[in-house]
Order: sequence, then C-alpha cells, then structure tokens
Amino acid sequence: MRKKISKLWKKGLNTEPEFNEETNTEIIELKKQDISADYDQNLATFKSLFSVPDNIDVKVREFTITTLNRRGFIIYLSSMVGLQIIMDSIMEPLLDNEHPAKNIPDIVSYPIASTKKNIGEITEFITGGNTALFVDGDDQCYLFETTQISGRSIEKSDNEVIVKGAKEAFNERVIDNIALIRKKIKNENLLVETQTISKRSRNNVFLVYQKDLVNEELLKTIKDKLSSLDVDSLIDLSILEQHLEERPRSLFPTLLYTERPDRASAYIEEGHIVLLMENSPASLILPATFWALFHSPEDHYLRTPYGNFIRFLRFLALFVAVFTSSIYIAITNFHVGMIPPDLLMAIAGTRERVPFPSIIEVLMMEIAFELIREAGLRVPSPIGPTIGIVGALILGQAAVQANIISPIVIIVIALSGLSSFIISDISMNFAIRITRFLFIFSAGFMGIYGVTALFIGGLYYVVSLKSFGTPYFAPMTPHSFSSKDLLIRHVPMVERFRPGYLKPKDMVKQRKES
Amino acid sequence: MPKTKTVCRIVLFFVVVMFLTGCWDRGELEDKSYVIGLGLDLSKQEGKIKVTMLLANPEVGSLQGGGGSTEKAREIISFDANDFIAAKATANSVISRSISYELLRIFVVSEEFARDPNFTTTFFEVLKDKEIRLNSYLAISKEKAAEYFLKNKPRMETRPHKYFQFMVDHGIENGLIPDSTLFRYFQSAERETDLFLAMYTTAKRLDNPRIQREDEYMAGELNATGELDDTQFIGSAVFKKGIMISKLTGQETRTVNILDDTTNIKDILVNLPDPFADDDKKQIAARIMKTKGNKIKMKLKGVRPQIYITIPLQLEIMSNPSKANYALEKNRQKLRKHIADHIEKMNEDLLKKSQTKLKGVPYPLPLYAKKYFSTIQEYKKFNWAKSYLRADIHVKAEIEIVDYGKETNRPIKVGH
Amino acid sequence: MKQQPGKLGIREFVAIAVLMVGAKATEDTPAILFSKVQNAAWMIPILSAVFFFIPLYLLIKTMSLYQGKDLFSVIKKLLGKYIGFIVCLVIFVISSFAVSFDTRTYTNIIRAFYFTTTPNLIIYTMLMLTCAYGAKKGLQHVGSVSYLIVFYSLVSLYIALGISTQKSNIHAMFPLWGPGYAELIKHSSMKLTIFAEFFILTMLIPYVKSNKVFRKGTWIAYVYICIQISAATLLFICMFDESLGGIAYPFHIAIRFISLGEYIPNVEIIFFIIWIITAFIRFSAFLYINALMFGRLFKIKDFEYLIPSLTTIYLMIGIIPESPMDVTLMLKPLIQNMAGPLFAFISIILWLVALVKGEFKHAKNKNSM
Repeated sequence: MRKKISKLWKKGLNTEPEFNEETNTEIIELKKQDISADYDQNLATFKSLFSVPDNIDVKVREFTITTLNRRGFIIYLSSMVGLQIIMDSIMEPLLDNEHPAKNIPDIVSYPIASTKKNIGEITEFITGGNTALFVDGDDQCYLFETTQISGRSIEKSDNEVIVKGAKEAFNERVIDNIALIRKKIKNENLLVETQTISKRSRNNVFLVYQKDLVNEELLKTIKDKLSSLDVDSLIDLSILEQHLEERPRSLFPTLLYTERPDRASAYIEEGHIVLLMENSPASLILPATFWALFHSPEDHYLRTPYGNFIRFLRFLALFVAVFTSSIYIAITNFHVGMIPPDLLMAIAGTRERVPFPSIIEVLMMEIAFELIREAGLRVPSPIGPTIGIVGALILGQAAVQANIISPIVIIVIALSGLSSFIISDISMNFAIRITRFLFIFSAGFMGIYGVTALFIGGLYYVVSLKSFGTPYFAPMTPHSFSSKDLLIRHVPMVERFRPGYLKPKDMVKQRKES
Repeated sequence: MPKTKTVCRIVLFFVVVMFLTGCWDRGELEDKSYVIGLGLDLSKQEGKIKVTMLLANPEVGSLQGGGGSTEKAREIISFDANDFIAAKATANSVISRSISYELLRIFVVSEEFARDPNFTTTFFEVLKDKEIRLNSYLAISKEKAAEYFLKNKPRMETRPHKYFQFMVDHGIENGLIPDSTLFRYFQSAERETDLFLAMYTTAKRLDNPRIQREDEYMAGELNATGELDDTQFIGSAVFKKGIMISKLTGQETRTVNILDDTTNIKDILVNLPDPFADDDKKQIAARIMKTKGNKIKMKLKGVRPQIYITIPLQLEIMSNPSKANYALEKNRQKLRKHIADHIEKMNEDLLKKSQTKLKGVPYPLPLYAKKYFSTIQEYKKFNWAKSYLRADIHVKAEIEIVDYGKETNRPIKVGH
Repeated sequence: MKQQPGKLGIREFVAIAVLMVGAKATEDTPAILFSKVQNAAWMIPILSAVFFFIPLYLLIKTMSLYQGKDLFSVIKKLLGKYIGFIVCLVIFVISSFAVSFDTRTYTNIIRAFYFTTTPNLIIYTMLMLTCAYGAKKGLQHVGSVSYLIVFYSLVSLYIALGISTQKSNIHAMFPLWGPGYAELIKHSSMKLTIFAEFFILTMLIPYVKSNKVFRKGTWIAYVYICIQISAATLLFICMFDESLGGIAYPFHIAIRFISLGEYIPNVEIIFFIIWIITAFIRFSAFLYINALMFGRLFKIKDFEYLIPSLTTIYLMIGIIPESPMDVTLMLKPLIQNMAGPLFAFISIILWLVALVKGEFKHAKNKNSM
C-alpha cells in the first residue's frame, strides 16, 4: 500500500520525456558475425566500421607477404600504437623474411599476440591500441599488443602528502598502477580481473584482490553490482564511485578513494577489493568504513606514539572543524554563563560596534573562508600566493577594522577552517565542511540543545550507513573481531588480525611466535 | 530527481525557519548588561526592598590595544522593588540593555536588612531565578548596600567583577572572611542546627580605629592610610536560621575557618606570642598550614555531651624576635607547647562564646554528631541545638613545626 | 544488497541498558528517594535491587525456556490468549504512560534550567523528533550509538560527581539507617520501579545475539546501575545535606554549582550536552520497545512504521499536564508506585504458571534427551 502510493507519487512527479535511440541494428548485427576468409570483404567491413577515409588516425596498410605470397593488411589507430614497433616487429618480418615458413606466428615473432574471429571483439582490440593483421584466405585475425599511449610518468602523491613512507602515486595508466601494486605484493594469489562496465565507450574496470583472502560473497556482490551498471560511458573512477555507492545523495562517503598504491596494497592485504580504471590516477577501495576514511597511512609509518599523536590531533581537528563555529554561536547566544567573565566581557566589548547578529557574522566569515579556499584551488599557480595574502589580510584585518566582524570570530573561523584541512580524505573533508554549516544553523536555532539533537540525529544516520554490507563504524560497533586499529593504534606486533567484518578467508595476519 | 528537489526544499524551509525564528532564548551577548553585584536594603516603604545593581561595562578595560573608551567601567542604580527578580525589568527604564544575572558574583546585604526577620523570605527567592548561581557570595555590609557600592571605588581594579573575584578569593585563602557562598547559606538555613557565617565588609573607615593585633579587626577598623580604597573585607556576620544575629572579628573568623574542614583555607600568616620573650609584647610571625582534616570524637550519651576536637596543624616560624636558639630540643618543645596552648585557648574561647553568646556552633559541627545515631528519630530526640549548649568541648592542637625559620644558628652580632 | 537486521551484541545491549536505567540518577529520582527516607536514600537502590532480583531472576529463567521468544509471546503462551492479551495490554499502557511522563520530565528540566523562555512544545517536539528518528533507524543502530556514547556519558558523569565531592561532606550520610529499618524496607519495595526497565528489556530477547548474551548483559547492567544510582544519590546527599529535600533535580543544581577552577567557573553546559545525548538515546530505545510491544500486541509485522505515530501520541499525552508540578507530584508517582510491584508480580506469576504447567521439567527432559 505504502509502496504503491509512493510509486504513484513518484510517477506523477516524473516529468522526464522518453527518448528513442536511432536504430543501428545493422552495425550491431555485423559485430556479432565472424570475419570471413575473403580478403576484400574483411577490408571493406573494417573500413566501413572505422569510417576509414574520414577517420584520420585509423591507418590501413595493404601489402603482400613475401614468404607466403599472400595479400594482407594491417589496421591500427596511429595515435595509440608505437609506430616503430609496428615497423620493426611486424612489417619488416612480413615483407623481408627470407626463410620459408608457413604460419604467420612463425614469421612475426611478436611477444604478445592472439588470434580472434569475432568482428566485434576485434574492433574492441583495435580501439584499445592493438594492431590487427588480416591475411587473405585466413578466417582469423592476428592481433598484436602494440599499445603505446603517452601519459604522465609515476609522480609524487599530491593530495595525500605524507612525510615518512613511500611517495609514489597512481597515474593515468592502469598498467603502471597494477605494476605499482604488484611491486608491493609479490604473490601469485594477487588477482587482477577485468570487467567491461560501459557499453559504448567500453570502459574497463580492474578488480585487484588477493584470491586466498577475499570473501567470496563480497566479491560476488561487487561483481554483480558492476555488471548491473547499464551506462554508455563511464570515463572515470570517481564517477564509478558514485554509481557504486549505496546512498549517492548522502553527505558521507562510503568508499575510499586514494591515489596511494601503498595504501591500496595495504587494504588488499587485509582482504579488501581495489578497483582501478584506465585514465584514473587513483584506486577505489571497498568496502570502506569511517575508520578507513579517517586514518592516514602515515599513522602506521610513524612510530606508535607519534602515530597515535597525529591520530589524536586528527580526531581533535574533526571535532574542532565541525563544532567550533556552532559552539561559539550557541554559547554566545544562549549560554552566556558558560564563558568566563573576563572572556565574556572581552567578547561583549568587541561585539559592541558590530552591526550583525553573531550568526550572520559567523556565516559571512565561513562563506568567505570557503570562497578563499575554492579560489585558491582554481587560481593559476603563478598568482596562487596572492590569494593567501588577499584572504588573510583583506578579509581578516580589514573586516575587523571596518567593524564588520569581531576579532574573536576570525579566531573561531580560522581555527575551524584550519582544522578541516587535517582530514585528508577529500570526500570526508567535504562532508565535514558541509555538516559544519548544518550545525551552525542548528546552533542558531536552539543553542546547544539544537546542536546536540542534530549531532545525535546525525550519529544515528552515520551509524546506519553501510558500505557493501559493512556498517560504517565496524568493527567498533557492531563489534567484530579485529586488531583494534580504531582511535588508537597498537604496535604492529599486536595487530595480528584482519578486520572481522570482511570475513576474510584467513583472519590471522601474524601468527604468534611460538 | 524529484526526490532531491523535495529534500532540498525541506532543508531550505528549515534553514529559513531557523533564521527567522529561534528568538526565544536567543540574545546577543552585547545586548545584555551584566550585574556583578546586587545590593539589598530595607526600603522605606513597608514590604518592599531597595535593590542596588552594580553593572559592568564590557567596553572598558577588556580590550587590548583597542583604544580606551571614555565610558565609565561601571554603572550603579538603586530603586525600590518588590523583589530582585522582577527588578530586572524595572531596571530597564534606566539601563539601556536587558539585565542579566549571569555574572552575578556577590550579594551585598546591609546589616540592617540582614537582621530583619523578613530577610529569609525575600532572600530565598534567589533559588527561583535560574541565572543566579549558588556559588555566588553573600556579604554583609555595615552601611546600606546602596551606599556601599557607591563608596567602593577600587583603584587598581577598574573592572568590578575582577575586583570582587580577587578580593573575596584572597580573603578566603587568608581565612579572614568565611567562604560564604549562597550554597552554604541555604544548606545551613535548611539544617537549622548550626550557624552560618557571611563575610563582613564596609566601605567606610572608622575615624579613629584602635590599633590591634594582626587579625583582631572588624571591617572598617583597620587603619590603613595612603592612596587607597576604603573598602575592607574582614570578619563575619553570624546567621541563625537565615537571619543575622551577631558578628565575629577577623581573628574569630579565622579560628572558625581552621575548625571547619569544609572551607579550604590555604596557608595563613599569623602572629603568636613569643614564649621566650620577657614581656608579652613580642610576637613571632608564623605561617599556619592545615594539611589534614580535624579529628572529632564525641560522647553524646549522658547529661553533658563531650566533644573532643583534635586539630593537626603545620607551622612555619617566620620570625624570631627574642633570638631564641631553636637548635635546642628543649626550646623547640617549649615553643611547640606554647603555640599549642595558645591555639587551644583561642579555639576554646571561641567555642565557649558560641555556646554562650551565639547559642549555636558557627560551622557544620552537628554533621559529625550524626554518625553516633542510627536513625533520624534518635538524632532528633537528642536535639543538637539544645545539647550543644551544655556540651563540654575539648580542643587539642597537634602542632608540627616544619620549619624554624632561616639562620637560627647565627649568633647575634652587636654593633656589626 | 539487503542485509538482514543485525542482532545486538553484549556491548550494545549493556550500553542500551545502562543508558536507559542509569540516566535515572540524573533526573528527579534521587530527590524523590530523599523525600521518602532522607539521608538513607542511597540505600534504597541497593535494597530495591536485592528485592527485584528475585522476580527478575525468575523471569529470565522462565524466558530461557523459550529460546528467542520475547516477553509478550511468552506471556501469551503461558497465560492463554485472552488473559495474556490483557496483561500485555496493561504492560504496554503502563510503559506508554511512563514514556510520556518521563519525556515530559526531561522537557521540564531542559526548560527550567537551560531554555527558560522557549515554549515547552518546541523543546518537547525536538526531543521526540530526534528520538523517533533514532528509533525508526532500528534497534541495532540505537545500540551502536549507545555504545559509541556510553563511555563518554559515564566518564562525564563521574567527572561531575567527582568534582562535586569537593563540596560535599561524607558525614551527611549519617545517621546510617535514616528513618529506621521498617521505613527503608517499605520504601525500597515500593521503589522497585527503578529497575522496571529490566522487565521491559526482556522484549528485546529476539534481537539479542543469544540468550546467554542477554542474561549476562542484564546482570552486568543490573549490578552496575544499582551501584551507580546508589553512589550518585549518596553523593547528592553528602553535597546538599538537608537542602536536597527542596531540590527537584539535584544533578542539574550540582552541575550548575561546580566549577573547574577559578577561570572556568560555569561548566554545566558540558555536562548538559552529555546528559541530553543520554536522554535522546534512552527515549529512542524506549520508543522502539514500545512500538515493538504494540506490534506484538496487535500482530503488526512492520512495527517500525508505527514509531512516528506512536511518538506523536506520546507527545500529545505528555503535553497535557499543565505544569511541571503536576507531572512530578501526581502523575509520575502514580506510575512509579504501580509499575515496579506490578511487574515483579507478573514475573512471579509467569514463573509459577510455568512451574505448574511443568514447563521446566519438560525443558529438562528435552535437554537430557
């Protein structure tokens, strides 16, 4: 009954018109067929598929294979292949071979090669940068892995900066990314599976996991979820992240997006699954809990006391970032008695000539801070430093002198703004910055009572979040067995277990020395 | 996304609501005037009281480098009112901002009003106001409270809240005034078995005060001269069942504070008669420290209840006017004995006075009697208030001298 | 990706129980106890705990015969369809009124001490909205949140009580036996209601991981709470002495009085935050249990949808009494004096019926086979 009503309601509200795709059944049918043995037919088929004369970087080259004395042609995308490789390793042997041989593999000794028959598959390979060789009278096509795309080399991690530990970051080439992980986990059980997730641009996603650790059920849910996606194109991992999340509208992230291979491999070792994509300089770790988003790899690289120290700082920063502005409003507007008399007098004295109520004051400053922050990100780097000066000087000093803002508000905003930088995960960072505004409103509405009510409501909400079936605060609550790496971490010798909420095949990370 | 849209609308609605409403308890803090001290006097009109408010001006003295304001640091208004809660509204006809008792630190009640039998009914309204905290202090002024505030012009502390905070805190630490929070006042008034001491203060100096020993003064009797404020905090007013009945000097107050374990006096500097001096005039200065609680034993059966009080004290001798040699064990013992006797006498005198003159014990001693009874009925039957007057009180001072002062061994060099 | 609702582990269960019952030390219970037996009030929680132990033990023993069944199903099974229904209805009604009046008490406290000019209805609505939202999220999440909070809640309570000891005098607890043994016994048997929540908590058995967890959790929470309420009451007695009689909510007076040194004189808001968080969790759990009762009573499967409407009804009942006085002086004592003894009586009856019916032997035979 309820569902019916809500369905009706939704239907009533849904105003999206229906679009019909122009039919291209011909091509789809064509792709399902196999190639023929007829040279001319193949040539025509592929020329038409790739619209050859118009499509400038599709190169088709016809020639005669000297040894076999048969006609053949290769087709490739010149922008995606290494031309030199094609010249040296494919064309040369085919044209200049003097030793009699019967088979193409005997002539062309290219290291990575395969044969395919299906037109659709061949097309996919060609678009991926392979070179396809068709020989007259052969009903199969030879494919050579000649991909050579230019891109960034492996660089330092920009967004997750740490002091101690590995510095390299993922780049846009998935091959490099996989290599970075493989480099850290030298084990044959590390599986890299691939799955095509979009129909038109055929984006691949790579699932990386340890076969003998990962929970089969979890793997299956993820695979099902991936294959259930029905989209034409998914060009980046960050968009995939939104498709995968259970609550894409939620303020809080439920997947961990990281650009650090060391982090990714650490999670793989715990039994998580990592997703990689071509063209995305990052990886997606799932399932992720609050703790995963809250921790930083440095916590573990530093010695235990130092690691815990920065973790406490971060925890403090979390609270400062979320609550300072709202508590300032709540206390100055509702619970004046809380403030020590001296401070109260000082605040009252500075606010004497400020024309706005303190909530407007705080909101103005918060928005100004966010503006400076966003502007600082977008500004071309040569003039970047000026933004800082403009922000700090003009907005801080001048606003106080102009009696628009009281100095204590500057302190409050600076403190909460600064603290918000300490949360390194970008999604979590946004979540905190946005919740801060909600708390400011609730503080303006009902003081500490409002803040607390929102906090508890928020806590209920956050606790009910799930990331692929894993509760957000696991393993703290609901409790499951783990090495208790939550608010504080222990020495590595004590952290002997993988997190229980993943149900890994092997719980124990380190056996006790006997 | 119709759902997102509706959610957005609801959120927007709430934001707007929160902006526009939410004015019940909300108030900008510069919008209020903070009362630091509240004076209560009898009004000329029957059944009314005269309320005096000491208001602090936040603009003065609290800004660093912000450029001084020409305004005054405080504002004082007095008017007649029915009670001091509704007086907040009345005061607004004079004061531009809304009156708040959030920072109220001290109640100053004139002696005249405190002795009035109606005082308790008026004063118990304190409990009804939610802004008044029970840790504010009650002080009794010799003159009218309205005059007291007017005459009180501290020179060093322009900000009134700071003045009262420091004045009261240090007075209590020295033991010259009692720790008279409202909390203790109500506790004692509710118990009815013991007396309550409130600090005694005045802003009027006596014209020709007698010079007495270090701590025997009452407020106003200390003859301090120079460029200073006339206000003095010393001694205490004694309350029985919430109404003032008598006064104690600074010394007596100090003795009570030593007897009372519930106040926390720090270390007190006192003068004690020198046992080695030829005449009575010479006195030694000593620092008394109370680190342990008193031991109290009672024998309450029988006609005359017996009360044994042991006071453990640590002393530091600070001066040695008769140049006695404390390296000798004999001298030390003499000193110890002498001091113990002195303190015992002081305490016994005070307790005697409380039995005869005050007719009640000025600190929560009856609490210690409670454990000798197993039910409330028995305790009630015993009737502390009456039995106490008959009781024999034995005070024993356990003196431990931790330091005999500097350079005790140096021989006196005359004409050096 | 539908997950079946998780069950409460021992941590979450104990956390819920501690927050639900332990919060009593911070509202008007100590003052009510004091008004009855003066300075021996701190003994009442202990004595009541001893008295209530027997029925609770019997109840849990009876309940353990039926693995994974909640209280209402057991009542219906043992007492028959019709009597069982009436008994369940009575329990539900009592617990409903208790929720209404308790929430009203909290609203009164908030209004009296912290938001003096805000209309009651606004405070009340906000309290109920938050609690209903929490209850709607489900028991497991209530449990999780209480587990996250319980530690801080208790620590702040200890800090508040610890600071209060500076201002208190242990001698105020004497004369030891207060108004006499007879009075003490009489009032402790009437104040069984302090622990009545444990009776209601048996509704949650199907949602707790195992029977053993439930039993263990109940006893841990039971002993702990008995100590906590008793200690808090003792402290308030020592602090306020005889003026406690004139104070309705000693915890709030105490936190207004204490200070963290000279420079932070007023700290009540810090404790208020934790206190109100505890209250939110407490009533979320209560609302959930009441909805559960209602669902069981009228065989409604998706009882979680009832929570908003039940909350509204409780809100309406709670708003009826005009002044806080009516609630504390007339309505609450009514529920309080009735609920505890009645629940104890029901527990004993259940056990007796089970005994007479031979359910225990039956179970034993089953086990031996």
